[in-house]
Amino acid sequence: MNANTGKIIRLDLNASAISIEMLPEDDYRNFVGGSGLAAKYFWDKGDFNTDALSPEAMLIFMNGPFSGLKLSGASRNSVAGRSPLTGHWSDSSCGGYFAPELRFAGYDGIVLTGKSPKPSVLLIEDDKISIVDGTEYWGKGIEEVTKELKNKYGKTCRTVVIGPAGENLVKFAAILNEGHHAFGRTGFGAVMGSKNLKAIVVKAAKKEMTLANPEKFEELRKVLNPKMKEALAASLLHENGTAANLEGGAFTGDVPIKNFTSNSWEGMADALTGSTLSEKYLTKRTSCAYCGIACKRVVEVKEGPWAIPEGSGPEYETIVSYGALIGSLDLAAVCKANRICNDMGIDTRSSGVTIAWAMEAFERGDLTEADTDGVKLLWGDMETVINVVLPKMAKREGKLGALLAEGSVSAAGKIGKDSINYTTQSKGLEAPMHDPRGGGHGMALTYAMSPRGACHVADPMLFVEMGACFWPEIGFEFVLEPKTDENKPEAAVMSIEMGALENSACFCQFADREVSIPEWLELFNTVPGYNWEAKDMMKAGRRIFFLKRLMNYRYGLTAKDDDLTPRMLEPARDGEPEGVEINFTGMKERFYTLMDMDSEKGIPSKTALDEYNLSEEAARVW
Amino acid sequence: MEYWKNPEEAVTAIKRMWEDVGKDAELLEGAGKVNQLILFDYTESGPGCAVWVDCRNGAFVVGTGIPSGTPDLTMSLSADDAHRSWSNKLNPVMAITRRKIRVKGSATGLLKLVPKLKKVAVIYEKALTDLGWADKIMK
Repeated sequence: MNANTGKIIRLDLNASAISIEMLPEDDYRNFVGGSGLAAKYFWDKGDFNTDALSPEAMLIFMNGPFSGLKLSGASRNSVAGRSPLTGHWSDSSCGGYFAPELRFAGYDGIVLTGKSPKPSVLLIEDDKISIVDGTEYWGKGIEEVTKELKNKYGKTCRTVVIGPAGENLVKFAAILNEGHHAFGRTGFGAVMGSKNLKAIVVKAAKKEMTLANPEKFEELRKVLNPKMKEALAASLLHENGTAANLEGGAFTGDVPIKNFTSNSWEGMADALTGSTLSEKYLTKRTSCAYCGIACKRVVEVKEGPWAIPEGSGPEYETIVSYGALIGSLDLAAVCKANRICNDMGIDTRSSGVTIAWAMEAFERGDLTEADTDGVKLLWGDMETVINVVLPKMAKREGKLGALLAEGSVSAAGKIGKDSINYTTQSKGLEAPMHDPRGGGHGMALTYAMSPRGACHVADPMLFVEMGACFWPEIGFEFVLEPKTDENKPEAAVMSIEMGALENSACFCQFADREVSIPEWLELFNTVPGYNWEAKDMMKAGRRIFFLKRLMNYRYGLTAKDDDLTPRMLEPARDGEPEGVEINFTGMKERFYTLMDMDSEKGIPSKTALDEYNLSEEAARVW
Repeated sequence: MEYWKNPEEAVTAIKRMWEDVGKDAELLEGAGKVNQLILFDYTESGPGCAVWVDCRNGAFVVGTGIPSGTPDLTMSLSADDAHRSWSNKLNPVMAITRRKIRVKGSATGLLKLVPKLKKVAVIYEKALTDLGWADKIMK
């Protein structure tokens, strides 16, 4: 096997039983890696009746085929399993440095089950794998634990750690690599917490990989790295981070304001955009492994109520979640909230969206001080958010903490009063900070179709509608107008296939915008050595999407769950998208037809599954 | 060329547009935030077919051809695509993706002008009308 090692670590924490398992080569070829390969593994060996936080639950870390290459954007990885937040299949991807180290240590993934009798740490040093006592780390923040682990195991070791939120089973708890690269979404930090696993440490003696055609890959690498680094988008990302184009989003109405009640706020762009972050607080730019783009921020807030020492800075999603979405234009407060979320191990999006929902509920009187331990939840009140709400959430403290720690859907279910209608989510996952009404109607469709719930990185529809994708080799030459439904289902099909590939290949969507279809093929053919043509590659993408749809069906989801909430589909009240209706039903029906999916079950037809080599899987659902 | 009889026409129209942009207080303030020497290089449509705007250090100077200083940002495209672009009929992201527009240098400042493009398009239409080229206005 090339690039991939073919080996995963199986760990049963009940008995501290460690084994090495070989995965079939065909599974790599058919499901690529990352979330796709994890889905296949779970399909074959997981239990769909197990609660996400029970000891029997399976938690899977999985690399892609390119992890460890000296290639920009190529070394992300995925964590996957049943989400405690949404209750169905999910995956969450992370950049940073964990994936290559795991590959160099000799493994493509880690599969965890069981529950350790006491807090523990999984230590991987090449062939030597052990469970060590993690009691001394339990209860501590991620920053401190990451430092302590590096002090103990050496500065070159790589870590993934959960914070107090994961220990307290907060449903949107995150897992952080190196203290600031997050597996943020859908609550896998809580799954680690439920297993009493505080951290994983990996350390490889050698940094070697075997490639199918190293000479050809080297030629490609020498083309791709400068191409990715010098692209306009990359230069903007480098200069001002992922919030570099917040001005553009503010102009089109893509940036959600006050729980998606507004799409226009004078002064918002100047206050929150990436160049403002650079001017006011940036001290350094950093990157994920082997990435020349370096879009990560290091910031310092020197004075004021939100003063923080030099450390990790916020991404676009955090800037909006803890800014405009909750009615604040205070960028220093965002930096502080981001730092707290990282340390506590909280997903900034789900937490920010849940707080925004709670603020609206409080304003409407659906949530009262009796529900919030006397805390007033007011738009833009960052002092309360930072000093009261975030700590309560992370510790599940009091009524407010217990309510919000479950996420917005559960909280809305508890308070009732139709408050579910103004949650902003799909399939229980709080929406990203791109409002489809302003950013592009096709995103409404892909948010709803995304297997894990509302997600803008399951596929690149955001970029597709902007005009940043052009794949003539697979017939994608659409000229799209964001605020219409024209050609959106057709574009969504290709976007979803490409997205499934990108995610399973664990490639960064910012870097790989510059990778053409022939270059993608060359990557697959020179690194793992698949000898693919474009049709094989695209087929793998759709196969992965199909498999995840089948998994969710087995968790009880059907076509009716492919939906957005009334708040997200009502015409925008102001700004550029004001009054424009989204033809969601029309797009959904057309998408189902194009994908040959059953309009009630929400899964591909048996014929479609057979065509995509999923006949055995089809037998479980048809 | 589809829209221009010769490169000089393109240069005349776009230079005029930028001069009019400089007379608009809001756009002038926006240009100040850009704080760059920007070259719009249309030389693929003919020699000397280029317009530059120097809005560094509070200045606002418009010129044609290649500037003497090194531009902070160069946008290279055809004179026809420039016409489509200033008429707000060309998605700049798509044009960059499909290599119709090539960008060199930092575009951070220019992003600040993106929200103003509709206003710039209105000024462009007026400039064309003032020059007697209303027939070139894209509907």
